[in-house]
Amino acid sequence: MFGTWGLNLQRRRLLAKLPDNPLRDYYRQAFPSAGCDCRSIEFVALDLETTGLDPERDVILSIGLVTIRGLAIELGSAEHHLLCPHCPIPEQSAVIHCITDDQAAKGKDLAEVLPGLLAQLSGKVMIAHYAAVEMQFLDRACRKLYGGGFVIPVVDTQRIAKRSLERRNQVIRGRDLRLAECRRRLGLPHYRMHNALSDALASGELFLVQLAQYDCNKKVALKHFL
Amino acid sequence: MDVELIEIHEFLLAHPPFEHLPESALNALPTQLSVRYLRRGQVFPPDNSAEQLWLLRTGAVEFRDPAGELIERLSEGEHYAAPCSDTPKLATRGKVIEDSLFYLLPCAALQALCQQYPDFQRHFEHDLRARLQQAIQQLQQSHGSSHNLMHVEAGRLIKRAPITIAPDKSIREAATLMSEQSASSLLVLEQGKLIGILTDRDLRQRCIAAGVDVSQALSQIMSPDPDTLESHAPAFEALILMTRRHIHHLPIVDSAGILQGVITASDILHQHNLNTVTLASTIRHSQDLASLASACKQLPELQAQLINNGLSADQLTQALSAVSDGLTQRLLELAEQQLGPAPVPYAWLCCGSQARREQTAVSDQDHALLLDDAFQPEHDAYFAALARFVSDGLDACGFVYCPGDSMASNPRWRQPRRVWRGYFEQWIKQPEPMALMYASIFFDMRAIHGEPALFRSLQQEVLQRCQGNTIFLSHLVGNALKYRPPLGFFRQFVLIHDGEHKDTLDIKHCGLIPVVDLARIYALSAGITATNTRERLKAAEAAGVLSHDGAQDLLHALEFIATLRARHQAEQHLAGLPMDNYLAPDQLSRPERAQLKDAFAIISTMQQAMELHYQSSRLR
Repeated sequence: MFGTWGLNLQRRRLLAKLPDNPLRDYYRQAFPSAGCDCRSIEFVALDLETTGLDPERDVILSIGLVTIRGLAIELGSAEHHLLCPHCPIPEQSAVIHCITDDQAAKGKDLAEVLPGLLAQLSGKVMIAHYAAVEMQFLDRACRKLYGGGFVIPVVDTQRIAKRSLERRNQVIRGRDLRLAECRRRLGLPHYRMHNALSDALASGELFLVQLAQYDCNKKVALKHFL
Repeated sequence: MDVELIEIHEFLLAHPPFEHLPESALNALPTQLSVRYLRRGQVFPPDNSAEQLWLLRTGAVEFRDPAGELIERLSEGEHYAAPCSDTPKLATRGKVIEDSLFYLLPCAALQALCQQYPDFQRHFEHDLRARLQQAIQQLQQSHGSSHNLMHVEAGRLIKRAPITIAPDKSIREAATLMSEQSASSLLVLEQGKLIGILTDRDLRQRCIAAGVDVSQALSQIMSPDPDTLESHAPAFEALILMTRRHIHHLPIVDSAGILQGVITASDILHQHNLNTVTLASTIRHSQDLASLASACKQLPELQAQLINNGLSADQLTQALSAVSDGLTQRLLELAEQQLGPAPVPYAWLCCGSQARREQTAVSDQDHALLLDDAFQPEHDAYFAALARFVSDGLDACGFVYCPGDSMASNPRWRQPRRVWRGYFEQWIKQPEPMALMYASIFFDMRAIHGEPALFRSLQQEVLQRCQGNTIFLSHLVGNALKYRPPLGFFRQFVLIHDGEHKDTLDIKHCGLIPVVDLARIYALSAGITATNTRERLKAAEAAGVLSHDGAQDLLHALEFIATLRARHQAEQHLAGLPMDNYLAPDQLSRPERAQLKDAFAIISTMQQAMELHYQSSRLR
């Protein structure tokens, strides 16, 4: 547990190395430190729908995000972008996210969307459920388009859920850690899954619940969730 | 960009008042919201939260007064708009009792929506009255068309100009005019003033059957000083008047008293198929109990039909009470035919809901006999038989025996005037629990047969004793406050003050009786003779013991609740079920629940005002 100290070091290294581009702009703002109170940090809950799980071979189909500020999810900040994959969508992924080739064809290029996305994330903490996918795909995209890797402090709602089950010595089955199942356990309403924005909102709400397990009237440091 | 917050949109679409917003506004709404999560046990709304409306997505919030008594509980889909109120009360702080997810709308955005959409705004008006009034209209509109008796003015049913005649014309001339005009009635005018009405029935009964010479003046056989109705009155009132007076022709006048024409029972009959006038007429002409009982089988059907014709609950119960008055009177006539004339003068008193003209087809019977003070013990056999005959008859006709035995067949309630006077004196002097229970039955009394003068003098005395008798009145208040309306609804349950839930709502005891009780106390405190709750409230306002706003609020609350009950009973009848007063919360739409909650809030406020006025809490 190194907090965000290490991340900020990487950030400064990239800031020095990168040419002037949206990724460099993104790194201008420091990441919040691990000791910061969650009530004063801005988070972005993010979800990507992709054609598969291999960032080398697969591509991003849609991006959903929403900002959390002062422990409230601001729906006015919600964004949903469809991306054009420039290749047929494999059937096994289409049945999950229900994005068809025709819809995707109307989508934008990643290069169009990424600068805005990076601007939204700058100086904030990212929330995702099983964040590895989001991190790998965004890292890959940034290297390809801007010549540098992507780092950000991450709150992974799946990891937090897993920790809390482990703490209660429960046997964890794979499906127990799915977003819908985690929400159900905590009494959150059922949302249809695998729409990038719905999933982003769903993981944002899940984080609010996980955060609420701590005393809301006292400072809760970010490091508890990293 | 493709923003669709479909989950939020769908939730808003399913909950009032957002569901009333046009699609464009509803589509734009989700992005104005934020989402918060509060754990069980937290104070609500939390400290330092911005001014916003809180819409509960899942979970529950509870509000209690400083004494710890439950005031309100919010569940899924309900909202808390107090932070956006113009006149912030000393806000009660609530508590989150189940982990809760909220959607929050900033007050500025709420106000913008309110300005743009009046229907939406009405939901947030603090004026419960305006909201309830609108609800009543909607409720009544949803039943019956605009062609119903409530909306049609009596004057609109007039078929032609009045056919008039002078009182000194002969009976023959009158009969000739009626044949020429093929009219079933003539209006008798003297110097332009209506002094009588002559009908086919008068010709048959008072002329031909009585052997009166047709060259005589028609004034001999006309019905003098007929009842009239203003043309702007709803046709329904004509129906009530005809039912009550046993007449088939009703002269209609304009607001200046100028004769406009006549409407007949068949003109009204034309408006809907089964009506109270025909039923009343059948009852009036029934020669035995069997035919009375068979006529009264139509009562539930009649009630269902009247409601579906768009009558208000007040009009419905007035109509049904008129029918049951007629039934009681007919039973008494039949009893007198069988038993012979009464040994001493008497007045038959109806009590309770019939006396208030608030009966439904499922009311039980409450009545008493007031006898002249010339009464001797040996006369009781006659009156016992009379009471038994009527009571059995009413039961056979669907008005079941009073479970509390408040009936003239009970010797206790079959007494000469001096004994009755003693009863009232004792109840007023020593308001014990039983006395208060009797008071609530016997302070609503109306003489419907016999010597009305007997009753009038007793009533005057009793009212004089009550008026200004603060001790008695405050006991009556304490008794009245035993029935308190529930707080509203929580999920599928009725929410009551002690925090427990009930699965059905006894709409009579939770809603109607509290208003009836309040109105009775206002009436007794101001010496008002009216027995009908609406009339009492209006008279109390006129007498200055009830504010204009207070009267209007209670009238609307009463009307809304009574209309819900009438509709519930009509639905039960349609489904082939017996009618009752038990409403399941899931029978109500979400807006109806909200409106019923408003009505309860009004009643509760007026109860508290009365409690404060009489300080009855000290005496309880």
